[in-house]
Amino acid sequence: MTESETAHAAGAASVRRAEDGRASVPVLEMRNIAKRFDATQALEDVSLTLYPGEIHALLGENGAGKSTLIKIMTGVHQPDRGEILLAGKPVTIRNAAESQRLGIAAIYQEPLLFPDLNVAENIFISHQDRGQVVGWREMFRDAEAILAKLGVALDVRSTARGLTLAAQQSVEIAKAISLNVKVLIMDEPTASLSAHEVAQLFKLVRDLSDQGVAILFVSHRMEEVFDIADKVTVFRDGQLISTRPRSEATPQNSITDMVGREMGLLQPRPPTPQGDLLLSVRGLGKEGVFEDVSFDLHRGEVLGFGGLIGAGRTDIGLALFGIEPATAGTIVLNGTEVTIRSPGESMGLGIAYVSEDRRQLGLSMPMSISANITLPTLRRYLNRFGLIRTAMERATAEAFRERLSIRTASVDLPVAKLSGGNQQKVMLSKWLNTKPSVLILDEPTRGIDVGAKAEVHTMIGELAAEGIGIILISSDLPEVLTMSDRLLVMREGRQMAIFDREDANQESVMTAAMGQEAASEGGVAA
Amino acid sequence: MNWLQRYVRPEQVRELSLLLLIIVAVIVFGSMIDNYYTSRTFNRIASSVAIITIVAVGQTLVVLTRNIDLSVGSIVGCTAYFTGTLLAQNNDLHPLLVVLAAVALGSVLGAINGVFVAWGRVPSIIVTLGTLAIYRGLLVDLSGAKTVTTDSLPSWLVDLPRVNLFAIGEFDFRAMFMLALMIVIIFQVGTSFLALGRRLYAIGSNPDAAKLIGLPIKRLVFLTFVLSGALSGLAGFVTLARFGNITVEAGRGLELEVVAAVVVGGVNIFGGSGTIMGAMLGAIMIGILEQSLFRLQISEFWRDALLGLLILLAVASDAVILQRLRSLWARADLKFIAKPPDDGPAPERRAPP
Repeated sequence: MTESETAHAAGAASVRRAEDGRASVPVLEMRNIAKRFDATQALEDVSLTLYPGEIHALLGENGAGKSTLIKIMTGVHQPDRGEILLAGKPVTIRNAAESQRLGIAAIYQEPLLFPDLNVAENIFISHQDRGQVVGWREMFRDAEAILAKLGVALDVRSTARGLTLAAQQSVEIAKAISLNVKVLIMDEPTASLSAHEVAQLFKLVRDLSDQGVAILFVSHRMEEVFDIADKVTVFRDGQLISTRPRSEATPQNSITDMVGREMGLLQPRPPTPQGDLLLSVRGLGKEGVFEDVSFDLHRGEVLGFGGLIGAGRTDIGLALFGIEPATAGTIVLNGTEVTIRSPGESMGLGIAYVSEDRRQLGLSMPMSISANITLPTLRRYLNRFGLIRTAMERATAEAFRERLSIRTASVDLPVAKLSGGNQQKVMLSKWLNTKPSVLILDEPTRGIDVGAKAEVHTMIGELAAEGIGIILISSDLPEVLTMSDRLLVMREGRQMAIFDREDANQESVMTAAMGQEAASEGGVAA
Repeated sequence: MNWLQRYVRPEQVRELSLLLLIIVAVIVFGSMIDNYYTSRTFNRIASSVAIITIVAVGQTLVVLTRNIDLSVGSIVGCTAYFTGTLLAQNNDLHPLLVVLAAVALGSVLGAINGVFVAWGRVPSIIVTLGTLAIYRGLLVDLSGAKTVTTDSLPSWLVDLPRVNLFAIGEFDFRAMFMLALMIVIIFQVGTSFLALGRRLYAIGSNPDAAKLIGLPIKRLVFLTFVLSGALSGLAGFVTLARFGNITVEAGRGLELEVVAAVVVGGVNIFGGSGTIMGAMLGAIMIGILEQSLFRLQISEFWRDALLGLLILLAVASDAVILQRLRSLWARADLKFIAKPPDDGPAPERRAPP
């Protein structure tokens, strides 16, 4: 029987002997949960069981389905199939308030507090049982009692605004305790905490588990997971791959489970002959976001940026494009040192950045395809009276429509009418039209279907062959692995390693991204 | 952290400094205007403050939830005119019925705003800008541009503004002013001691979190607009009593004074913070300025411009001042929280995007 089968069998039994020998009824059972969003199967037949007092870690790459499962537990999403049992009884969780009433609470990386209300109010805001009249004296007293129980010293009369993230999380935990939660979900609670604050948080978590609260703990930090968890469950591609007791789980077997993804139909991109040194970055940093990033980019090269979401990869792109300028380090472009303080300057230097967020940062949805494509370069399309030459604009759009095979009835249609893949092509056209020598692509294939994805990949290869230096930021591990000539891996704002094509594989990259001992020396590969 | 910082919050410091500013203004105007420190000045300011305050209380409730009600001036005009007409035709209506009619009409007009904002999902600034014009237009059309005159009104109403509840020396505390004060006290208590009141703060402070904990946001927002309308209706009645002669212009431009009072009083225009007491202090400040500038014979256009400037200054300085105060408090907080001497490696903190 494999690990996952064991887990399923254990989940099916409603009563089991817990490791510590005491008989225990699962507090929460998720049975055969499935959830689909448009083209993506976010969860497929997932069964997860939580017992009182256990600390259960959830591991998986971005998009593996952890967040969807949490959102189903907290009533944000409804499962397409499957059932949820709370203390053995089937329940439907229609919304967040209902999940709280059932004793399920979630704490996120960014706490959701009311900044203008004081600490005590924030703790008790969801209490409908405290009556219509606020007894401030009792509320302050009760809040102080709960915080004292947690060993947290906070002024309960001060507003939540201005509290440190750690303090805000303590307030969230106090809130959960005051509601007598049975299941506490912690979604990357340590991502913004210092080492000392993490130690304090873990003490709280252990105390809670001693009191019988089941804790579902999501984190990308392996050492934390193995420090605190009783059980480790790994998700991949919307499926539960394994559930292991702490004694059997190791960082290595967990990583293997996380990355065992099908490479599918992806073919490695044939390497293009590399040209001259184009961009050379040394010691690039931005206060509190990322630090000491150094790499070289050649003409015709695809440099992949791997790592997990929030590792600081997008921030490097934003710094190079001048949206959030770097505060340290040097950038040498074509042999000249440059400072980039705004997107205008960056565009002038021949750098283009295709954002991961098509809706917010990339395209103007109600505007036509041609208007979107010419937006950054509109000055070129003005006649001598300062009016836009629409014929010329349309000609450019038609050229790109041909070149990137954008599927649309007309370039005059609003971008909102296009599919995700075609919108991505419009974005790409828009930035290619600035004739860049460095092209930064941030998650260019997120949320588009397989066919469109393959087209984007072909296009990246063609652009590199034309001599453009490409930085490819992608959380899709098989994608960066097949597309990149070299691969830079980030973790929590730090550059962990640069792999040459032959040294990069799913395990070595994920190992670096999760902060395990790096397989290759970090630093600059020439 | 000293006891002062423990019990006086940065937000309260802001209100206390407004009180100080009011005293300074009185002293300055007192030195510029002859016979300023008289009961006459006091009474004039008090009766003008009464109307602004009553409307500002309702406005505060609306602003706390991250909305705004610009239609208050038109609601005051409508209720003053229609209640006056009703009373002119039936001189022996019971006074209480008259007040109720004014409040009821105001509530209905406020409820129309509320429905559009809460369920129609139209931004409140657009809804109430629309009804500001619509209610005024209805008033002009239905009234046929006729005027309610003092001699058509019963004597109890005409005499009402001069009714004294009590007097300290020669300073009269008139019924109208006391009515406003009573409303301030009722709503101040309501917003600090009722769960309902605190929920209004919660909605304005973090709408996403409010939704997540299942607060009935739509119903609460609707309620604030009904209350704002009801209080504007009451203010319409007070306006009728104070002026006697009511034209279709009654209450025009009042929204400027009311919004000025609210933001000068420290209510955050982005919702979530501020108090009813603060709004009253703001109304007093506005009342003093208006009456004093009138005495200085400064034209009403300049007075309006000054109100506009005050709104700009109050909103622009609000963020800066409060941030300063809060960081002062936060530093005191740090001393209060026991921290181990060694914090390990430098904490890695990341700013939220």
